[in-house]
Amino acid sequence: MYRTLGNRGERVSKPSDLVQGTLDLLLLKILALQPMNGWAVSLRLKQISGDVLQVSDGSLYPALHKLEQEGWITAEWKPSENNRRAKFYSLTRLGRKHLEKEAANWSRLSAAISHVVRLEEA
Amino acid sequence: MRPQQWLYAIPLRLRSLFRRNHVEQELSEELEFHLDKKTEEYINAGQSAEEARRKSFREFGGLEQSKENSRDARRVNVIETLIQDVRFGIRMLLKNAGFTATAVLTLALGIGANTAIFSMVNSFLLRPLPVKNPEQIAALAFRQKKGALQNNFSFPELEDLQNQSSSVFSDVFGEQLGAGGLTINGKTEPIFIFYVSGNFFAGLDVKPYLGRYILPSEGSLTSINPVIVLGYNYWQTRFAGDPNIVGKTVLYDGHPVTVIGVTPKEFHGLFFFADTQGYLPFGMEQIDSSYTPDLPTNREDRTLLVYARLRSGVALNQAQSALDVLSDRLSRQYPASDEGLAICAYPERISRPQPDPDKTILKIAALFLILAGLVLMLACVNVANFLLVRATARQREMAIRTALGGTRFRLIRQLLTESILLSLLGGAVGILFGLSASNALSSIHLATSLPVLLNFDFDWRVFGYAFAAALVTGLVVGIVPALRASRRGVTEVIRDGGRTMSGSRSRLRTVLVVVQVGGSLMLLIVAGLMMRSLNYVQRSDLGFEPRHVLNLSLDPGEIGYNKVQGLQFYKQLIERIDSLPGVESASAAFTVPMGYYASMDSIDVPGYEVPAGVAPPIAAYNAVSPGYFRTMSIPLLEGREFTNADVETSQWVAVINETMAKKFWPKESAIGHDFKLVSDRVHSLRIVGVAKNSRTSGFSGPFREYFYQPLAQNYSSLATVQVRTTFPPETMTAAIREQVAALAPSMPVFDVHTMLQGLYTLNGLLVYELAAALAGVLGALGLVLALVGVFGVISFTVSQRTNEIGIRMAMGASQNIILQMILRQGFWIVSGGIVAGIVLALAIARLVGNFIAGVSPYDPITYLGVSALLGLVALLACYLPARRATRVDPVVALRYE
Repeated sequence: MYRTLGNRGERVSKPSDLVQGTLDLLLLKILALQPMNGWAVSLRLKQISGDVLQVSDGSLYPALHKLEQEGWITAEWKPSENNRRAKFYSLTRLGRKHLEKEAANWSRLSAAISHVVRLEEA
Repeated sequence: MRPQQWLYAIPLRLRSLFRRNHVEQELSEELEFHLDKKTEEYINAGQSAEEARRKSFREFGGLEQSKENSRDARRVNVIETLIQDVRFGIRMLLKNAGFTATAVLTLALGIGANTAIFSMVNSFLLRPLPVKNPEQIAALAFRQKKGALQNNFSFPELEDLQNQSSSVFSDVFGEQLGAGGLTINGKTEPIFIFYVSGNFFAGLDVKPYLGRYILPSEGSLTSINPVIVLGYNYWQTRFAGDPNIVGKTVLYDGHPVTVIGVTPKEFHGLFFFADTQGYLPFGMEQIDSSYTPDLPTNREDRTLLVYARLRSGVALNQAQSALDVLSDRLSRQYPASDEGLAICAYPERISRPQPDPDKTILKIAALFLILAGLVLMLACVNVANFLLVRATARQREMAIRTALGGTRFRLIRQLLTESILLSLLGGAVGILFGLSASNALSSIHLATSLPVLLNFDFDWRVFGYAFAAALVTGLVVGIVPALRASRRGVTEVIRDGGRTMSGSRSRLRTVLVVVQVGGSLMLLIVAGLMMRSLNYVQRSDLGFEPRHVLNLSLDPGEIGYNKVQGLQFYKQLIERIDSLPGVESASAAFTVPMGYYASMDSIDVPGYEVPAGVAPPIAAYNAVSPGYFRTMSIPLLEGREFTNADVETSQWVAVINETMAKKFWPKESAIGHDFKLVSDRVHSLRIVGVAKNSRTSGFSGPFREYFYQPLAQNYSSLATVQVRTTFPPETMTAAIREQVAALAPSMPVFDVHTMLQGLYTLNGLLVYELAAALAGVLGALGLVLALVGVFGVISFTVSQRTNEIGIRMAMGASQNIILQMILRQGFWIVSGGIVAGIVLALAIARLVGNFIAGVSPYDPITYLGVSALLGLVALLACYLPARRATRVDPVVALRYE
């Protein structure tokens, strides 16, 4: 039992049903539309993916920080609507390039997979 | 990560690392914002504030977890953890100060021994010359007809090299050892100098500290340019660092010379071991009293050490190809002198003190690095054993850490941090040990007035080596305990309270101690062999009688005496000394047995056929005055010794040793036969006597061909006056000095010691003594470490088995049975170790064999004697804890559980 209790090495809140890197892609895409804070990102995530992609709020922030470390997004503290300051993320030039590349990859991959899936059905 | 990304990442990471609180606070604030928004949403949906807050927390899914993952995403945890580990490690080490001190001291001994040995290796083999691009400097040597490698070239050969190898060498320069006297203000002292070619300093590319150097135009052998360049240390001591020295005139061997410059402090010349005190141009050799007029043209009068600087971009093997071509050409052009010539180039760094295809220095270095490495290994085993014990004691701690979420990797890292801290501390203390050891080594008395330079200073290489040794040590001693400490499951540990230990762990410790006993036995066997070898050489029959002889060195040339004056001086001095009470006999000789000066030449014996393609025979020789054989007590087997009638103008004569007589005249008496030196084809030497073989350098092996010439026919101004006395020889010093002063008041007398003391040189007993002392110290260290190991492992067994012993005793086992039980384990460890040690010693025996004399490296007496001794001491180390086991009180032992 103890192994699973609080093992730091394992990410407990890691979304298991998301393909590795997919969350990154989603976040980059969302931020590509407009800079926004974490809360807004979480809302947008729910809104666009509905219940299909369940991303817990707890795993959203580490993912954002990782993207920031990679240099794909950059953060800035700005006042939000009721004048409380919030951390706003926006895409960098590098991030935009990365998004293009990853999006293209994704299309290729998903097309290929759909193709294979259809083959099996036939 | 791509470079552009670093642009973003580096500032962020630095910020995370150094403004940690700020970043932490921002993280909290960001998440707080999210939670507040969420709560707000729930409240708007009509829930109570409290309920809304709780719900949003739950939905978030582990706030702290998320924070930690965010921190991981920042990737500075690695460094933070390291700092944490180091802090914790220091706390743990301070908490167990006794353990820490023992472990640090143990490691310091091991690392110190290694550092000291390495500092010597560094100065012999690694430290480059303090010149520009030192890797371009090559030392040249040659073989003739596959004979022995020779280091000395003749002047015409140097010229050929200079003129015909410029495609690969930018400079070829030569130097010749010289000894003379330097007079300032009427006071003469010996000076150790080199005659150098004009391009010597340009070729080395060193800048003068003061003034200028000898110019290429001043280097010709045929013109006298009375200038001298001083070595830095000599200038400091003899001239008190006089800043206006340049331009001053001093007397060298009685001739005025002008000081033109001073070499930089770190430059000591090319002659390893000695700090060159002065440099004179080649032409100044003409004032030397042993100068022969055909020196510039005689291709076989080989006296020069030759070095070359590779052109930039030219590799040594390319230069070697060019030298092969040149050798061939010279061989054909001068068949009489240079037939079968093969000039070889060696990197300067591995040519100290001279190019050596046998790599003797490298072998010595390897041997002692192996021995010192072994000592370090023994120290490591001890510390690893300490750590294993501690690991057992800390199992509870580890289990709790695991339960709290520490991964195995994390625990191992923590434990390794501790052991590396320990070894770095050990390394720091070890460097101090090493420094004092190498200071002691570099101040060895070498029985010579030569300006000896044993510079074992610690430079970055030595420090780097010590650091690397410490780091590796830390890993080695830490890894096994760390792996083991972190291996056991929590439940297991908590159940048995970390008190018992599994059999395998105890087995590992036992194996380690067996290895330790083996290693220490090997060290002791090597030390034993070296001591027996020293004992042998100290007692060996040298063929002459070193007791009751006093040696005093003189050089009349130092005060300007020419050959005639010098010979007259020696003759008168010896007559005066002979008439002193207590003197049996006195004589003068250029070479002293085991001394630092020697002569050697190829010889030409009429009637002795040298097979085609084979080098002519080589013989070493000495120039001695009448009375020499009596003074040294070397018996003459045939013929006569030299007399005052053997002068330069009479028939040249020689006394040869038995070996030489047997080699060239096996069937008849050698008396009356003639031979020649190849460097002097003019004079025939007629054999007038055959002397018993005696040792001149080295103590073992077959005697080499050797002969003696009268000092009058092969004059050397520098000579050692030897006096056989009936009184203790050192008591005669003052009386003899008086006689020198009476004849020549300003004549310096140097290197005054008894012949027995004079045997302790690097060519004589000193090497054996040094080797025995070094091996002895390493062996003693190894022994202590192994005994600690044996004692430790047996004590530990006893303490682990206290309970069992108590039960056994309660069941009626006698003290004797308990004692036997414990000793049996000790016996197996020790005998296993002895077998391992003998195997190890046999493995290294061939290497050791190079450095011992008079005793086989497989000498059974040494092997058995040392093994028995070690076995006895080791069993004693077992006995102490075993006896403690017999004192176990069953009641206490059982209650203890």
